[in-house]
Amino acid sequence: MPTHRPEPRRRSDVDFSASVVGLASAKVHDGSVTLIQAIGLRKVFRKPDKAPGIRGSLRHLVQRRYSEHVAVDSIDLSIAEGEAVAYVGPNGAGKSTTVKMLSGILVPTAGQVHVDGLVPHRARVENARRVGVVFGQRTQLWWDLPVRESLELLRDMHGIDRSRYQERLERFDSVLGLGDLLPVTARKLSLGQRMRADLAAALLHEPRVVYLDEPTIGLDISVKDRVRSFVRQLVSEGTTVMLTTHDLSDIEEICQRIIIIDEGRLVYDGNLQAVKDTHVRERTMSFELEDSLLGADQIAARLPGARVHLESNGRELAVTFDRMTLGARQVLSAVLAEVEIVDMHIDEPAIESVVRKVYAGQLQAEHGGATNSEPMR
Amino acid sequence: MKVAAALEARPLPADTRMRHLRAYRSMARTGLKSLLAYQTSFLFGMLASTFGALSMLYLWRSVLSAGPRHGFDWPQMKAYLLVAFVAGSLVSSYTDYRMANRIKQGDVAIDLVRPVDYQWSRFAESLGVAAYEAGTAVVVALGAAALLGGVPLPDPDTFGLFVVSALLVFPLRFGIVYMSGLLVFWTQNYVGLQAARIALITLFSGALVPLVFLPEWIQVASAYLPFAGMASTPALLYSGSLGGGAAATAVLVQAVWSAGLWLLARGMWSAACRKLTIHGG
Ligand SMILES: Nc1ncnc2c1ncn2[C@@H]1O[C@H](COP(=O)(O)OP(=O)(O)O)[C@@H](O)[C@H]1O
Ligand SMILES: [Mg+2]
Repeated sequence: MPTHRPEPRRRSDVDFSASVVGLASAKVHDGSVTLIQAIGLRKVFRKPDKAPGIRGSLRHLVQRRYSEHVAVDSIDLSIAEGEAVAYVGPNGAGKSTTVKMLSGILVPTAGQVHVDGLVPHRARVENARRVGVVFGQRTQLWWDLPVRESLELLRDMHGIDRSRYQERLERFDSVLGLGDLLPVTARKLSLGQRMRADLAAALLHEPRVVYLDEPTIGLDISVKDRVRSFVRQLVSEGTTVMLTTHDLSDIEEICQRIIIIDEGRLVYDGNLQAVKDTHVRERTMSFELEDSLLGADQIAARLPGARVHLESNGRELAVTFDRMTLGARQVLSAVLAEVEIVDMHIDEPAIESVVRKVYAGQLQAEHGGATNSEPMR
Repeated sequence: MKVAAALEARPLPADTRMRHLRAYRSMARTGLKSLLAYQTSFLFGMLASTFGALSMLYLWRSVLSAGPRHGFDWPQMKAYLLVAFVAGSLVSSYTDYRMANRIKQGDVAIDLVRPVDYQWSRFAESLGVAAYEAGTAVVVALGAAALLGGVPLPDPDTFGLFVVSALLVFPLRFGIVYMSGLLVFWTQNYVGLQAARIALITLFSGALVPLVFLPEWIQVASAYLPFAGMASTPALLYSGSLGGGAAATAVLVQAVWSAGLWLLARGMWSAACRKLTIHGG
C-alpha cells in the first residue's frame, strides 16, 4: 500500500543544549541513523523505610532510612531510525521506567540518553514535540472534555495548522474509527475506545519516535487487532517504534527486533526471527485420529528423538520434535503409516517460549551472539 | 549539518511565540470548560462561602453600630469585606486539587510529555477558571451589597492603584496555591496541606477580619509576607483606608511578591523534577 508520508516534517531548527551537538550527528550503523541511544542507563528509586502510621512517620523524621531499589540497571540501547523494537520483560522488570527516562519524564540516576540528538529530561519540551508516548494505563485525554476538544488542545500545543489537523483526523478516522468518538466525553469512553482516542492524541503531531507502553493491556481481541494493525502501519511509514508489552502476540506482528530485560538488566537484544529460528527449535504437530488408539508406541518407534503424547480418549495425538533433526513430512508419514487422521495442525514456535527460556536463564548460556548480553561495566 | 543548525539557533522565533500564546489561550479555555463540568459542586461551594461572608457582614454591622473601630465605619467595612470576598474566591481549590491528584496518581507523567511549560500551563488553566470564579463572586457581592443597602464607590484617588492591586491578586494566589500543590511531590498527601494553606491565607490575608484588628505581630508579618496582597491590599484601597505612600508601597509589595513567588515556584518545580518518582505503571 502506498501509504503517504507527510511532506518534509517541520523539524525544529532550534537545538537547545550545546552539549548535544557532538552527539547529534548520531552514529551511523549499517547506513541508518541512530535515533535512540542510551549508555549505562540506570534508575534507582529510593523508598523511605518507615513503619505505617504517625509513629512510623515521626520516627522516619528523626532517623531517615531509605532502601534503594534498582529499577533499571545499566542498560545500553541503540535504536536506528525506522526500527520497530519490542521491549519485553515480566512485570516490574523496568520497562516503564526506561520509557519514562527516554521520554524525559524521569531523570536517570546515571548514564546517558539521547533521543533524536536531545537529552530528553533536559530539553523536555522540545523532546515532547518530537516523540509520542502512549501509556496503556493512563490517558492523555482531558477527562471532562469531549475527545474532539482534547485533540484541538493538542493541536494548539503542537502548533499544527488547521488543514494538516483535518487531514490527520480523517486519517485517524479511517484506521481507528475515530469519528464516532469525537463528541464523546473522555470519561464515558470504554477502555477500547479510550485507547483508540489516546493513540490519536499521541500521534497527532506525527512524532518521529513513538513509545507504546502496554498499549493493548485490558483490550478485547478486536480492539487489540485494530491497535496492532495501526501500529504496523505506523512502522511501515518509517516511524521508529518502541513497544513495551508482556502480551507477546503484540510483538510478533509488529517488531523485527526484540530486547528482553529482567530485573532491570538487559538479557537479550537481537533479531526476533533469528531468535525464534535458533532457540525455538521445537515444533508440535497435533492430530485428530479417525479411530481411537490404545497406544502410541509404534509411532514413537518410527520417530526417534520426538516426544509422542496420546490423550486418554485415544483420539488426539501430539508429536513434539526438533525441526533440525526431523521434518514435518517425516512426522506426518510416520503417523499416517500407523493410523488414519481426520485433522492436523502445526504449532509455530511462539515468542512466549523464547522469553520463557530467557527468564529461565537458558538463552544466555545458549546463544552468546546477542549484542548486549554481557554485563557492561 | 546539525552543528550548523545549532550555531544558527536564534532566540524563539516569532511563530514559536505565537504558537505558545495560542496553546496557553486554549489551555485557559480548557480550564474553564473543565470547571464547568463540576459547575454544581462549584456553585455549592460558592454558596457556602457566601453564607460565611454574609454572617460576617451581619456581625460587623452590629459591632460597628456602636461607632467606628480602628478607623472602619460600617460602609467602609462593608466595602472591605465584599472586595476581600471576591479576591478570596479566585484560584480557589481547582488548581491545587487537580495538580495534587495528578501528582499523587502519577498522571503528572502525562503532563510532562506535553510540549508546554508546566507552570505556564497551570497558570493558564487557573486563569480560565479565575474568570469564572471572579464573575460568580462579583455577582454574589453585588447581590449582597444590594441586600445591605449598597456599597460606596471606590475612592477616586486610589482607583488606579486599586485596579493594579486587584489584578495582582491572581498571580499572588496562583503562586501560593501552585506551590502548595507541588508539595505533594514530597508529602504524597494533600488533605492536610490544603487545609493548612487555606487557614494560612484566610488569616494572614485579612479576608475575614481586617489586619488592623489582629495582634501587632501578625500585622508586621503580613506587611512583608505575600498574603496581605491577596485580599487586604485591594480591599483597603477600594474602601479608601489606604492612601499616599503606604498605598503605593503596598502595591509594590504585591508586585514584588508576584514575581518572587513565580521564581520560587520555578525553583521548587525543578527540585521536584529531580526527585520525581512517578507512581504506578
Ligand atoms: N515511583 C517508584 N518508586 C519506587 N519504585 C518504583 C517506582 N516506579 C517503579 N518502581 C519499581 O521499579 C521496578 C520497575 O518498575 P516498572 O518500570 O514500572 O516495571 P515494568 O513496567 O517493567 O512492569 C519495579 O520493581 C517497581 O516496583
Ligand atoms: Mg509497566
